[in-house]
Order: sequence, then C-alpha cells, then structure tokens
Amino acid sequence: MPEPTRLVVRDTPVDVLRAGSGPPLLYLHGAGAGGRWLGFQQKLAERFDVIAPTHPGHAGAPAAEWIEHISDLAFHYLDLMDTLDLPRVHLVGASLGGWIAAEMATFASHRLASLVLIDPVGIKVEGWIYPFLFGMELMDVVGMIFRNPVAAMALAPADMSVDTIMEMYRQSTAVARVAWNPYLYDPLLRRRLARITVPTLLAWGAHDRLAPLQCAEAWRKEIPGATLRVFDDSGHVPHIEEPDAVAAAVAEFCASREATR
Amino acid sequence: MKFYYFHLMPYVMEHDEPSSWVTLSNRHYDPALGHTLYHQYLDQLEYAEALGWDGICVNEHHQNCYGTMPSPNVMAAMLVRRTTRARIAILGNGLPLRENPLRIAEEIAMLDVASGGRIVSGFVRGIGAEYYSTAVNPTHSRERFYEAADLILKAWTEPGPFAFDGRFYRYPYVNPWPRPLQQPHPPVWCPSQGSSETVEWAAKRRFPYLMVFTPIKRIAQVYAEYREACERFGYTASRYQLSVNLPICVAETDAKAEGLARQHAMWVYHVGLRMLPQFWQPPGYTSESSLRRLLSTRGKMPTELTYEDLEEGGYIICGSPATVRDKLRVFADELQAGIVCSGMNGGTHEKTLEMMQLFAEEVMPYFREDAHVDETVGVGR
Repeated sequence: MPEPTRLVVRDTPVDVLRAGSGPPLLYLHGAGAGGRWLGFQQKLAERFDVIAPTHPGHAGAPAAEWIEHISDLAFHYLDLMDTLDLPRVHLVGASLGGWIAAEMATFASHRLASLVLIDPVGIKVEGWIYPFLFGMELMDVVGMIFRNPVAAMALAPADMSVDTIMEMYRQSTAVARVAWNPYLYDPLLRRRLARITVPTLLAWGAHDRLAPLQCAEAWRKEIPGATLRVFDDSGHVPHIEEPDAVAAAVAEFCASREATR
Repeated sequence: MKFYYFHLMPYVMEHDEPSSWVTLSNRHYDPALGHTLYHQYLDQLEYAEALGWDGICVNEHHQNCYGTMPSPNVMAAMLVRRTTRARIAILGNGLPLRENPLRIAEEIAMLDVASGGRIVSGFVRGIGAEYYSTAVNPTHSRERFYEAADLILKAWTEPGPFAFDGRFYRYPYVNPWPRPLQQPHPPVWCPSQGSSETVEWAAKRRFPYLMVFTPIKRIAQVYAEYREACERFGYTASRYQLSVNLPICVAETDAKAEGLARQHAMWVYHVGLRMLPQFWQPPGYTSESSLRRLLSTRGKMPTELTYEDLEEGGYIICGSPATVRDKLRVFADELQAGIVCSGMNGGTHEKTLEMMQLFAEEVMPYFREDAHVDETVGVGR
C-alpha cells in the first residue's frame, strides 16, 4: 500500500493514496472503503497512475463542515485535479464515489478521458426506494452490500475501541450530511446525466440489493452511449467481490479510450 | 418545592421486537384501547391540578409505544379548557423536527392566550430516534434547534412583520397572530440529558434546565456545570432553573411501593426505551466531544438497568410516604432542585389516582415552604 500524502485543496486537507504509472486515473471510493488500497486499485496501478483520495470525514480524515451537498464533493475533486495539475483523468467511482463521479461528469465532461461508475447511487429510479442503511444493524448492512459476506472482511475495522467508533461516527456523519434526505440521491442529477459526453462504463453487481439492476438500466438509459457490464458473482461492490475481473474490465475500457484519443 | 405532574402517555405492551421505536409496527396499536387510555391519562393530569400540583406536563415523541403524544400541543389544548390554575408545561416541542417552526410560535401563543398565560414552553431537539421517524437530517439537529429557537423567541418578542433569513428557515414575513399573553414570552425550559452545549445555551438565556431520567450522580454534575455557567454569565441561578424529571412510586409501605415499582415502573426502561443503538445516536446528532465522553463512561443501556440500579442510582423515587419524603429531601436540600416533575403508575387508572392522592396528602405538604413563590418570575426568559 502506498504511503498517504496529505494535500490541501482550497483550505480542505485531503489524504491521497497514489501509485502506478500510466495515464492518470482518479478513483473515488464508496462509504466504508476510504483510506484503503484494495486489490482492485493495485491491479489498476499496473497500467495507470491511480490517484485515490479519501473523502473528508472518512477513514480518520478531518471532516469538512462546508460540505453540505453531493455537488460540493464533486467540485472538491475538480479542485483536487487542479491542485494536482491534472487536466484530464479517467474517472472511476464506486457507490457513493460513483455518485460523486457522475455529478462531476455532468459539470465537466471535458476534464474526463472516460467515466466508470461501479454500482453508483445518486438518482431516483421509479419503483425503487434505496433501503435505509442508517437504520440497520451492522450485520444487516453487510448482507445488503455483499453477495458473499466473507468479502466484507476486507473492510472490517481493526478493533472496536473508542477511537475506532469515533472514526466510524465521523464517517457516517459525513455521509449523512449529503445523503440522509433525500436518501442516496440528488433530485437534480438524473435529468443532467444527458450532459455527460464522455464514454461511460457502468459496472454492476448482478445481486446488488442496495441499487439493483433496474437502477443500472435507468443509468444506461440516461447517459448517452453508456455500456453496461454485469458481474455475476457480486452484490453492491463488485470491485471488492470480483476485483480481478472488474479491474480487467475497467482497465480495458479506459485503455481503449486512451487508444482512440 | 414545586411539583409538576408529568405524563408520557405510554401504550403499555409487551413485545419481542428489537426496538420499541421507529420500527415497532403500528398494527400493535388498538385505537379503541387508545381512546380509553387517552381519557384516563388526561383525567390523571386534570386530577393532578385538583390535588394541588403546580403544573402538568406533556411531551413529544414519534412512532413508538413509549409515549403516544406526537403532538404535545394537541394534548395541551385539551387541558387548557379543563383546568384553570395549574401551569401547562409542554416539555417540549422538538424544534428541529418541524419544517415550519413558526407554527410552534403560533401554537404556543394560542395556548398561552387561551389558558390565560399558564403555558411553559419546553424547547427540545427530540431524541435520536425522532430523526429516523421524521427524516430530518440529524447532522442539522443542533443548528436547526438554535435557529428555530431564535426565530420563535423573536416572533414572540419583536413586533411584526419582519423578515427572517436563516440557513434552514426563511420567511419574508414573520408576524404571528396571536402574540403570547405572558410577557415578554412564556417561560422556556430545556429538558435535556446533560450535553455541555445545551447546558451552556440554556444557562446563558436563564432557561431552566430539566434533567430527564438520569442517575442522581449525573444530575449533580450537570447542575454544577449549569450553576457555574450562570455565574460566568454574570448571575446566580435560581433554584427554579434546576428541575428534575423522575418517576415516583409511593404506597403505604416501602415493601408495597417496591412491589408496584418492580411490576410497573420497569416497563419504561425495559420495553419503552428499548431501541437499536443507531436510533440513540444517529450520525451527527451528538457532538464528537459529547459522544466520546458517553463512550468512555460506558453507562448501561436502559434495558440493562435493574430495579436496584434505578433505586440506588436515584433514577426513581420509591417507598412509603416517609421514605419518599426523605429521598425528595436529597433533591430539595442537597441538589437544590426547585421543581420536581414526576409521573406515577399504580398499575391501573384507579390505583394511579390513589397513588397521586397519597402523594398529594402525605408528601407534598412537607415541601411547601415556597407556596407563595411564583417559580416563573425572573427565569425562563
């Protein structure tokens, strides 16, 4: 795992994990996966310069009180790209990170070489209400996110000390600030998805119970030319449940965009 | 000492669900039984006035069997027309839970005018579970509380119309009719469980602080914090700024009282307050410093408390009239609390009325040195 570097982006401290070489790829993690360098990232680092910032308030990073809306996070990462002098990146986001990535793409597709959304939340899908994870006990949350709960061990906390509990509380507070109500979506986002002009891959776990395949269909319909790729042995987090297959698909997709530029 | 009779209006039932809040299905609620209960509970509050209690209290909770009063102002309205002397304390309205808190300013003013100035207006944030029931973002709780309180106090005291432009609440015209009868406004109380932020906020404004269902050691700590804060704000706290809410169980003998408490008083803790941990502490509801203190002291959950814990910890007062007098002396003399809010439960409506009468005849008269004092003069405003 690379050593984290602390940057300051418009007065907000950001911890960044960065490794690999090749074209820059910005990876935005989901809730609970901040500050980690998973097999998925390691695999991508074989072909890309993988830049993985931790969201404010996640994984021990300081909270940023100014963040009130998901678009604040989108602009935060566009600012991070400026700070790192990255005119264009491949943007990959999972779950909450996918929501942020989609918002970024509606504002600034021209800053992206490609867009990969892994089981994103963020839009209202007719006939579907996202199950309210904030109200669930931990084991029920795990069952909601993972097809195979053993994979959840990758994200398990080291202990249940007061410090760890406080860290988890700060993290769920950071998520609640942008996602409590409306829960897990931005009512303005769906119509704006048509503005995305960059090649987009939707990677989806076939057994996602938080955002099931019908959500994937809605995303595919709204983003012009988007491709959907379904992973049969995964729930909500295929990049953690089938890291090699998902990393290979993502790398292939991003590399093909690289070739056609 | 001043005595306020407090009612939760519980829907007493047994169940095996993990939570009595938020997720306990309302199919368990029988409206026909609810009709009987509401009338018994209102009768008890009215009887409290007849027996000499100084005030009667209602409160707000949502989606649970612990207290079936989602709108305390509705209950207060019923009491306004059926009582004439007692103060009616609404403990309180959950300010951040309202999308339009100006309605609270209006409703309290209506009640105050109609009751001839008998209203005490409690301001609360609502407990954690309420943020699941109302979907209000708990990370906004404290800020919405302060902002709504400012709005309501301003609406009561500044001539309208004026504009209010907050972060959460915005109005081009604030101009509520009616205005409250009590001037400058009805006394405001802060029922709470001792967060330092609330202590500070209440002390600064001379708003009485009401400790709810807390062990006596913690009450003493928080009272000390509150008094110290008052001194810092340049005044000495009146004893009527320090009040406590605890159940009382009185009977002819200690043994009989203990039997009744074991049978009926434990329900509130073991069933009524049973809930999932995340319902106690939704994200952002508690400041990091308060939560860290809470985690490091690791107190028992309500469902883990035994009768002995409640009795020895001073969560409840239980015994013969003489024993109850002795225990109340600790609150009156050592803690210097000026107001005791208590609910009682004799097991049935009739037994509860008998218990109230016993208390009014055998306990209350021993604490009436201050009968002539108006507990709301100079405080709560």
